[in-house]
Amino acid sequence: MANIAMPEVMPDLERDEKSKPDSANDPGYVVICWNDPVNLMDYVTHVFQTVFAWQRPKAEFHMKQVHNLGKSVLVRESLEKAEHYVHQLQKYSLHATMERDE
Amino acid sequence: MKLLRVENDRYCFQFGHREKALFEFLLRLYPVIPSAHQTLSKAAARMDENQKLLDEALAEQRKENKQHVEKLLTDPRRFKEKGAGAEMNLSAGEIEWMLQVLNDVRVGNWILLGSPEEQPHFDPKAENAPYVIAMGLASNFQMDLLDALKHNA
Repeated sequence: MANIAMPEVMPDLERDEKSKPDSANDPGYVVICWNDPVNLMDYVTHVFQTVFAWQRPKAEFHMKQVHNLGKSVLVRESLEKAEHYVHQLQKYSLHATMERDE
Repeated sequence: MKLLRVENDRYCFQFGHREKALFEFLLRLYPVIPSAHQTLSKAAARMDENQKLLDEALAEQRKENKQHVEKLLTDPRRFKEKGAGAEMNLSAGEIEWMLQVLNDVRVGNWILLGSPEEQPHFDPKAENAPYVIAMGLASNFQMDLLDALKHNA
């Protein structure tokens, strides 16, 4: 067998910026509602029911978490869906944000 | 503001004359929350582009709600004079944007008061009295609307 010099193939150690994780489906974000002294408890419950189509007991559970603990993680979602929910909650003037679930 | 009846997804509310005037006064205040007040994330710096999109979406929403308000206030058929007051019909969908509008007025006036942790005391002679009154009135109407929705659930 002829001793042919083969090109050396090195592992690709450089980050491929084009192929980022599929954030469209990655449930890597949490939607959080934060406590404030201005939004009414009944109103917050109503908004959770409307935005997430939750039954009243679940909506009340999260409203009480916001009230007693200062915040509640409402859902874990993809970037796109988390943005959608934050927008819906902020439309009702709730203090809501999305954060990377780390 | 009192729920009289619900028929075919239309909620009929009764207002006294002064109550109606206060209700219209509150709606005319909308929007009160400053634009770009809301942030998408506590780590907002990492999401500049998304923040811009959120600001645009909320601005569009405010514009739509403002149009709803103006239409409601200028439509002579919306309030029907009856006896010592007036009656107003709203669909469940209209109640949703009405709740958003009233809460904007409530939260916006709270922001104007400096976002106090404690419920501000009402002193009619104090400089902040208009803001405190607007907050209280908005919450009263909000509770009436929420009770109406609960009543029909």
